[in-house]
Amino acid sequence: MTEQLKTETYTQPIPMKNSDNAAYWDAADQHMLTLQKCTDCGKYAQPPGPACCHCGSQNVTWEEQGTDIVGEIYSYVISYRPFLPGYTMEDMPLVIAVVKLEKQNITIIGNVLHCKPDDVAIGKMVKMIWVDMNEERAIPQWELV
Amino acid sequence: MTQSIASKYAIVGVGESARSKNSGTTPLHLALDAARAAIADAGLDAKEIDGFMSYSEGDSCTAHQVATYLGAHPKYVKDISGGGSSTELLIADAVALIETGQANTILIYRAMNGRSGVRMGGGGWSTDMLQGALDGGSFIIPYGAGSPSQWFGLFAQRHMHVNGITKEHLGHVCLSAYEYAQKNPKAFFYGKPLTMEDYLATAPLSDPFNKHDFCLESDEANALIITSAKHAQTLQQKPAYILGVSARRTVKHAHYWQNIDEVAADYVAADLYEKTGVKPRDIQVASIYDCYSWVVIRQLEAYGLAPKGQVGDFVAAGNLRIDGQLPTNLAGGMLAEGYTHGMNNVLEIVRQVRGEYSGTARQAQNHDLGICTGWAGPDIAGAMLLHK
Repeated sequence: MTEQLKTETYTQPIPMKNSDNAAYWDAADQHMLTLQKCTDCGKYAQPPGPACCHCGSQNVTWEEQGTDIVGEIYSYVISYRPFLPGYTMEDMPLVIAVVKLEKQNITIIGNVLHCKPDDVAIGKMVKMIWVDMNEERAIPQWELV
Repeated sequence: MTQSIASKYAIVGVGESARSKNSGTTPLHLALDAARAAIADAGLDAKEIDGFMSYSEGDSCTAHQVATYLGAHPKYVKDISGGGSSTELLIADAVALIETGQANTILIYRAMNGRSGVRMGGGGWSTDMLQGALDGGSFIIPYGAGSPSQWFGLFAQRHMHVNGITKEHLGHVCLSAYEYAQKNPKAFFYGKPLTMEDYLATAPLSDPFNKHDFCLESDEANALIITSAKHAQTLQQKPAYILGVSARRTVKHAHYWQNIDEVAADYVAADLYEKTGVKPRDIQVASIYDCYSWVVIRQLEAYGLAPKGQVGDFVAAGNLRIDGQLPTNLAGGMLAEGYTHGMNNVLEIVRQVRGEYSGTARQAQNHDLGICTGWAGPDIAGAMLLHK
């Protein structure tokens, strides 16, 4: 479920933590998924925010989802050219996908790794993996099931 | 119930600066050139303009500067942060300002060195800055998603999959834009026609988009002038009357990629038609915001200009072309003419509605009622209807 450091130095952008999202990224560093949930309307939120994005309630909490996370590719793009510093042509083609988690009724954006662009399709199942960016930080990614 | 603004206000002048890839000058110079052209088009004196407004993404000059160097001393200036659909927003603001007596005649402009200066498609900006500046940025930037072509591409791929839109359908949107550009000597792609064979053979950039599906980048400024119908009737140009505006609507969630099945244009359309009583089939000529080819297709659906599920067939049948059901983006649009965050398309719809090209191959045969749509993204949009 995890992957060793691909290279000695990770050049791609590292997710920045702030007061609204720190719990999500802290969990990712531990190779787990945690999601913000509203205790009033019962809905999950992704990305997390300063209050519930569905009903405005301030009664939001965090709920661990564990390490066995499976979702469905809802949509994707395949980038053949980098648009950001930290990415080079060696990182292309890069698959960026919107992955739907049915039970939680949310979507998470990530890269589908270790696949050929032709293997990617809407409706295919993917599982969450974590890539270690450095000794402290890890980022959730996806792999075809 | 709000009072209808129908036909009480009009666009009375439009103008643009030179268009280039490297202006060698400042956005202020470009803005002044565009403003002077619009003022001359309207037959006004700069001192008669008492409101100046602009939109930008921190890459322009201020309305106060423009007024100063035109020799005007306005009652009202405003600079907003915003991209596509900001023209429609500022036109709605102008109507409200005139209605409430804050100003009488207002100039709106967009000036940018969009190629040689700040590039919208991403120009090596700091990824830490982007994570902070974009709402939810830390959930997209670390995944390499830093370009609108990628964000909007996620919407496009799903929509195409569900609605049977093919790459060839996107190609038809591009082909009609390039075809119009061949009649517009000021268009970047004048003299550079595109065939479907070439289009389909072009390598993908942010698949489903190749470079032809992307808008251009320009150093350019555009300006337009709005005033009351009463004042408009004393001026030299045929007024393009505003039938109605839906200024700026949003989708339900600020992190818009959470629901890629809806776009703000869906909400704008309902509001615009309700306000005006117009039916989509009444519309004769269009400027549809075209930062990407698919964005045109999605808006044709949103605004009911083509039946949902049949938009691909609609564009494949040539309906965006000069002899089609809905001639669209007749100067070449942002895909083939130039790019000023939508404003060049606004200028063109004004010229079409007032019949400026009459007697030439550029004039849509029927042009009494036109629609102009703005798209800041899937999340924010606006639109207006103009009539002669």
